[in-house]
Amino acid sequence: MREDEKFLVLLSQFEITNKKIENILAALGDDISIKNFFALESAKKLVGEELYANMQTCASATRLEMYLTNLKNAGITLLTRFSDGYPYKLEVLPDAPYFLFCKGNIDLLKETAISIVGSRTPSNYGRIMTDRFSEGLAKAGVVVVSGLAYGVDSIAHRKALEVGGKTIAVLGSGMNNIYPAEHTSLAKEIAEKGLLISEYCPSMKATRYTFPQRNRIIAGLSDGVLITEAGLKSGTVHTKDFALDYGKDVFALPGNVTSEKSELPNGLIKSGQGQAVTEADDILKFIGFERKEEKKTEKAVKLSFEEQEIVNLLSKGDKDMEFLSKNSTLNINILNSYLTTLEIRGIIRRLPGGVYGLV
Amino acid sequence: MLSKVKSFGLKGIEGFPIDVETDVSNGLPKFDIVGLADTAIKEAKERVRTAIKNSGFEYPTRKITINLAPADIKKEGALYDLAIAISILATDEALAISSHKNYVMIGELSFDGEIKRVKGVLPLLISARKLGYKKFIVPVENATEAGFISGIEVYPISTLEECVRFLKGEITINKVEVCEFEKVISASEGGLNFSNVKGQARAKRALEIAAAGGHNLLMIGPPGSGKSMLAKCFPSILPDLTFEEALEVTKIHSIAGELDLKTGIVTKRPFRSPHHTASTVSLTGGGSNSKPGEISLAHNGVLFLDELPEYTRHSIETLRQPLEDGIITVARANATVVYPATFNLIASMNPCPCGNFGSKDRECRCTPNQIHKYLAKLSGPIMDRIDIHVEVDSVSFDDLKSQKEEESSEKIKERVDKAREIQLARFKNSKNFCNAKMSVPQTKKFCALDKTGEDILRSAFEKLKLSARAHDRLLRVARTIADLEGEDNILPQHIAEAIGYRSLDRKYWG
Repeated sequence: MREDEKFLVLLSQFEITNKKIENILAALGDDISIKNFFALESAKKLVGEELYANMQTCASATRLEMYLTNLKNAGITLLTRFSDGYPYKLEVLPDAPYFLFCKGNIDLLKETAISIVGSRTPSNYGRIMTDRFSEGLAKAGVVVVSGLAYGVDSIAHRKALEVGGKTIAVLGSGMNNIYPAEHTSLAKEIAEKGLLISEYCPSMKATRYTFPQRNRIIAGLSDGVLITEAGLKSGTVHTKDFALDYGKDVFALPGNVTSEKSELPNGLIKSGQGQAVTEADDILKFIGFERKEEKKTEKAVKLSFEEQEIVNLLSKGDKDMEFLSKNSTLNINILNSYLTTLEIRGIIRRLPGGVYGLV
Repeated sequence: MLSKVKSFGLKGIEGFPIDVETDVSNGLPKFDIVGLADTAIKEAKERVRTAIKNSGFEYPTRKITINLAPADIKKEGALYDLAIAISILATDEALAISSHKNYVMIGELSFDGEIKRVKGVLPLLISARKLGYKKFIVPVENATEAGFISGIEVYPISTLEECVRFLKGEITINKVEVCEFEKVISASEGGLNFSNVKGQARAKRALEIAAAGGHNLLMIGPPGSGKSMLAKCFPSILPDLTFEEALEVTKIHSIAGELDLKTGIVTKRPFRSPHHTASTVSLTGGGSNSKPGEISLAHNGVLFLDELPEYTRHSIETLRQPLEDGIITVARANATVVYPATFNLIASMNPCPCGNFGSKDRECRCTPNQIHKYLAKLSGPIMDRIDIHVEVDSVSFDDLKSQKEEESSEKIKERVDKAREIQLARFKNSKNFCNAKMSVPQTKKFCALDKTGEDILRSAFEKLKLSARAHDRLLRVARTIADLEGEDNILPQHIAEAIGYRSLDRKYWG
């Protein structure tokens, strides 16, 4: 391990701001190493007395070795900005993270990736469309990047996993403090089948400042950012700003003009900052991605007479139970059972509020 | 001078005999009551003295001591007034009352000597009959209630004076005629009817299944979608009360003092909807003067909990035992009382704190965390006892105004009755009588699926991500659906329909 890398490994054990690290590195100049740091006159002033003392106790070779072994045992790979495996996509950023704690398949960092971000409380439309985009992108072999938050983020991750695709979740907290806690099992699944990354040391808790910072990694890691649904005050605005700063493509899903949740994507389309997209293929074409597998032609599904009637009723948009029972010739019990079988066969889907729609 | 009169006290819903013993002896005028009497009985002194005086009898100006035996059981209420008064009068040799030993007397006295109604006459009489007592004197207002018990002689009395003359044989009083339950029940009016509810086909169907199989049901929908209305119609499709059931219900309502004195017996399945601010004790029953709670008053009927997550966690958890065993055991320092509490639970809730999650025309303003917290108020063990979840959405204006004839409760009830008959035959030799209460071995025996059904169930668990605890409930609900259609076997469409009623198990929530 190189000396400069060792120094960052030492720093990675503490909750230390990027700004401070920047100052330290500036003071060290070209000769970055642990020895030089402690030789530095201003060292104590740069990091503060307490941290300085802590750093001294942890600086020995054996302690560093122990730290890395512990991480390894926890399944965590530590990539510092000076490591060999550090992704090129992040390296070029002006505010690239100094550390990446990774759990899972770190090869995904090098692949073509699209991030899907948006509201934590999407509408039914947002849910469906996020699902479709994530499925389309994941099936084509693109890595789906998102932030493990409620709503659009988790829907994107789940769908990508469901279709056997690749996904990266960027955390706004340390690995041991998954936020929101309800997504702990989702995080575990992503670590097994995809990749979980965080720039914070594993014990760090999420704060309101870590999430906007996390968004810059999401934007930086991906080749394009898709916003399916978000309001003007959403945290997604940060992701969009970072993406535009970094010169990434921004894709926006057009939505209902009257819907608060589509204000951001619609605004992006209007101002020309965002490219309007309606299906995953639009994005793939735009970034010139060659799909891994050919799109399979839809298998013709055989529907019974009754099933066809339900599908016809739903063909004009999502309908609730009230509409279906009023407009179909079927008795309510028969209708109920066909709705379930159609759902199991994956032809229709059930949405919150007892609403049904075609897949 | 000593005299003795029989009366009855209540413990829970069971009566026990009490001897009212009076001794009048020389000494300074004094009136004492011994035998663990509560305040209402202690105050009987004043009522009894005034009533005797105002009825034209002489009150002994001597030392009076009353003992309520057995002396170690706590006694409460004003129902011993009459027995105390008669036992005092019986010590008066001039009055020469002799036949008082043949009767069991209950009644509260007013100052002018009138005998007022008391609570709990029906359970008292039923227990007394079991113990072999034959003749009773009860307040005239309680006569109808007493008329439903055969094999005993009940004499309705309206004043203390009348009672004394009756005991002396000076007048005759006709005993209460035994009333026929069928007559009363056919005369009783129906409540709300499903024909008044427009639309909501799925919710109605779910309620029909719940009624047929005795399943507990949870309605989820935004405010104003008609959940309460649907629930109120629910008793109208339940099978009629049998006489035995009616007696049980009446017992409880009689003790709680909630009985309609005109009919004297509960003819309709009770529908109780305690408010969500209700205390745990008001739900379970108990208190220092132990009284049946809402869940016992809902016995053999419907307990409707509107806005289920708004109830305190503690009150919801106390429902666990009654939902499982059909009884509630209330243990207090001085007594342990068991009240029956076999009810059909109908609950309703909003999908989220603001109520609009998933609504088609209103925006939900809740954060995922709020929704999660809201749903987390319903613990797993309680959700485990609710078989059917159904979503209810608001009805459009056009639907409300539509002239389309909706199916009436009577028609639905016919189907429910048929399904119940099938279940009665199926569970002939076991304790339970409806599908919802099937034990695990019974579920295995009666809810076998064919190959297609198994496949549907398996793919439902895989594709729709149902939680595992849903498995047996699904089978039981499917069994009821099959019963409603008169099928011996559960067909694939039955299991498919049942799967549709598990919305809360679905992962899209949150």
